[in-house]
Amino acid sequence: MTKTGTLPKEDVHTETSLGGRWRVVVLNDPVNLMSYVVLVFRKVFGFDDQTARRRMLEVHEQGRSVVWRGLREKAEAYVFTLQQWHLTAVIEPDEAS
Amino acid sequence: MKRVEVKLAVPIVAPLLDVIREQAPGLREVSAGVTGLPDADDELREAWADELLAGQRGEVDALLALFGEEFFREGVVAFDGDNAEVILRACAAVRLRLREHALKTVGDEALETGELEISRLPRETNLAFRCYVFLATLQEVIIQHLDESILGG
Repeated sequence: MTKTGTLPKEDVHTETSLGGRWRVVVLNDPVNLMSYVVLVFRKVFGFDDQTARRRMLEVHEQGRSVVWRGLREKAEAYVFTLQQWHLTAVIEPDEAS
Repeated sequence: MKRVEVKLAVPIVAPLLDVIREQAPGLREVSAGVTGLPDADDELREAWADELLAGQRGEVDALLALFGEEFFREGVVAFDGDNAEVILRACAAVRLRLREHALKTVGDEALETGELEISRLPRETNLAFRCYVFLATLQEVIIQHLDESILGG
């Protein structure tokens, strides 16, 4: 159950700013359990279970998944939190946007 | 508060705890896995690394404390909403460090699939791998029974 008790309708949240957009990318590692990664995605981003599993499978099968897009400062905070959970996470300019 | 107690065989688990204790000093000095923000300035990079490491130290301490005197008396460890998250993270940190050090020779594919002949591994690698699997099992127990506590915390 998330703090708000509501499930996000979109699995990728977007924000805009004059500073440009950034994306948070989670990279695959051979160590962390699939169930662990799903839990972390649910905890950190408030994803519903289905969305978290889809993102986890992207990481597992494609080596990476963009889990969030938005302002640089918030992207940094997410990367830090994911690294606290010992996931491999990086920040990239969101050039596709 | 939901609480999960797990009964373990002390003679089997004790050698695995030695593996964790061997990794603990390194985990107090270096963050497990890949961390950092490549384009950060020096001040941010230092603060980032310090805070991650401080958290990791707390995790390792919590994991070792879980297997204190009471565990050796009763053979039981208990998880609840207060310790589930920190133990989950500790297990992840130790597993990452084992991969980078004691299990370096095993290879990522074998670690990911678990398909390897344990009996053929040298004793120290064998113990490290069993510890690696043991920690994953603890994680699975916590996730299976306490996920709602973690998500709600």
